[in-house]
Amino acid sequence: MNIYLPIAEMSVNIFLLVGMGAAVGFLSGLFGVGGGFLMTPLLIFSGIPTAVAVGTEAAQIVASSVSGALAQWKRRNIDIKLGVVLLVGGVAGSVVGVELVKVLRRTGQFDVFVSLIYVALLGSVGTLMMIESLNTIRNVKAGRISGRRSGQHSWIHGLPFKMRFTRSRLYISAIPPLLLGAFVGLLAAIMGVGGGFIMVPAMIYLLKVPTNVVVGTSLFQIVFVTAATTILHATTNFTVDVVLALLLMIGGVIGAQLGAVAGEKLRGEQLRFLLAAMVLGVCIRIAWTLISTPKELFSLAAIGH
Amino acid sequence: MRPFINMLILKRCLTLGFMACAVASLSATTSDAQQRPGKRTPVEAPRGRAVPVAPLSSSASSSTAKAEDAKSSALPESVEADVSTRNVAVTSSFTGTEIVVFGSIHNSRQTSAESGVYDVVVVVEGIPGKVTARKKDRVGGIWLNTRSATFEEVPSYYAIASTRPLDEIASEATLIGYELGFDHVRMTPAALSNVTKPATAKDAKDKAAPQPEQRLPAAELRDFRNSVIRLKKKDGLYVQEDYSVAFIGKSLFRAAVALPANVPVGPFETRVYLFRQERLLSQYNVRIKMEREGLERLTHSFAHEKPLAYGLLTVLLAMLAGLAASTIFSKSSH
Repeated sequence: MNIYLPIAEMSVNIFLLVGMGAAVGFLSGLFGVGGGFLMTPLLIFSGIPTAVAVGTEAAQIVASSVSGALAQWKRRNIDIKLGVVLLVGGVAGSVVGVELVKVLRRTGQFDVFVSLIYVALLGSVGTLMMIESLNTIRNVKAGRISGRRSGQHSWIHGLPFKMRFTRSRLYISAIPPLLLGAFVGLLAAIMGVGGGFIMVPAMIYLLKVPTNVVVGTSLFQIVFVTAATTILHATTNFTVDVVLALLLMIGGVIGAQLGAVAGEKLRGEQLRFLLAAMVLGVCIRIAWTLISTPKELFSLAAIGH
Repeated sequence: MRPFINMLILKRCLTLGFMACAVASLSATTSDAQQRPGKRTPVEAPRGRAVPVAPLSSSASSSTAKAEDAKSSALPESVEADVSTRNVAVTSSFTGTEIVVFGSIHNSRQTSAESGVYDVVVVVEGIPGKVTARKKDRVGGIWLNTRSATFEEVPSYYAIASTRPLDEIASEATLIGYELGFDHVRMTPAALSNVTKPATAKDAKDKAAPQPEQRLPAAELRDFRNSVIRLKKKDGLYVQEDYSVAFIGKSLFRAAVALPANVPVGPFETRVYLFRQERLLSQYNVRIKMEREGLERLTHSFAHEKPLAYGLLTVLLAMLAGLAASTIFSKSSH
């Protein structure tokens, strides 16, 4: 059964889209990640215009993170003050990102730019995760427990505009969370991702936020930044396809629930290893399209249709 | 009386075997128009129209052909045509459609469908618009868009059907003059189709007069032109089918033209050309409307006319969908 998408302006199979949503939802439930970094490339590979894939995926991430954020809120695992600071940076980053998308689309470099950013980020994050998970697996086998050094003073503590974040028991400058938020907001707008895979490690290792509030605060920030990104894409680039988003959501929410159940049966470091393998797989796939000689060197873009 | 009959006939045409009816209806309207010029029956809004054929300056043989006409002392032929669907609706279930172009030759001298006296060329053309073709090059190991060319007035869709291959139907000059065939589709290079870095709209405004050295070499421009046609063909947006116009009787012909799902939404101009011995005798144009309808139209215009409200609503729907899912699943699991 096909449906004509109003913004993408193409006819696609409903079951294919719901199935894609479910598959990515399952993986995101399994690994506890947003799944944007899987869904956006998948949409692009299946022929959806890159800009529509990125704009629409922002809306889908709102749907997939809002329930998680609410659950964390009920458990009081969100540092609202820190979240708001991240959010202010995030919205600013998103505004810049959406404008950048507009300029890149006009000059015909958007697709390549998105691919390059994906390769760079997924490549580095995937490699780091892979190394970390392998080390943990080795340590667990050897019976060692890796201790994390904390409470150390670093360059971050020398910055001005200090703020007290009581929930996180932190007294740090507002500049690092603002910059981190802005960077993640920029990625959300350009890549069609939530940015949790950058936000969570950055909060833990750079800001030294206690692990119990990291996930909740990150989800809180993601919900509002992707919501802002959706609205900005809709008003600036007209690239949010509500029908496409809803179809992906239907599959996504079901898949995520099943994935979460399956995830309980696997150990943390094993999950991280699998996730790292998947991230690197996507990275290699995108890198291949950049490096391999294309069958068709030419491409068309209609202007003003 | 006649408008009513015409309407009846036209409606029947769409459902029952329209071929036979078409002859009746077309000949009816012809005589109608001839008797009362300017008072055409208001059956449907977008009517077809006969186009006066201006002889191309290069057709030297036309005078001799006219002499032949006079010798044979027959009435001049003309063509009239219509399409099976004048309004194509793009709804949520739109997966492309097929349009049948049919018509008949007035004063046909053919004795049967197989006589082969006439050649008919049918062109269905979408709205013209700007198209930028970009070419990738390997830059530091990565394939980037480096060169580009912009063409103006490129038809968004171009289907050409004919009774025979085009080069057998008419001379090169005629094909060029009437923009028939992929080699002659209108495609004007824009002033600023050049450069290693693609130009933005602002650049185009700033540089009113293009520098001659910025122009692409002719060979490269041809490559770009060919790429537009090749890619449009690949997407099913440019279609050429020889032998796809078929005569059913001595004057009636038909051709089926496929409109794929990815066709840009907009009106189409259908042009029907009648040739005999490489000479264009008559031309007839019909417009096809294509519009979004129903929910499809609602969503599309909402997104483009009230983007802020559309964005907010999308976010609201997303939040509701997420919350609904979590409540459903938390209830079912407890």
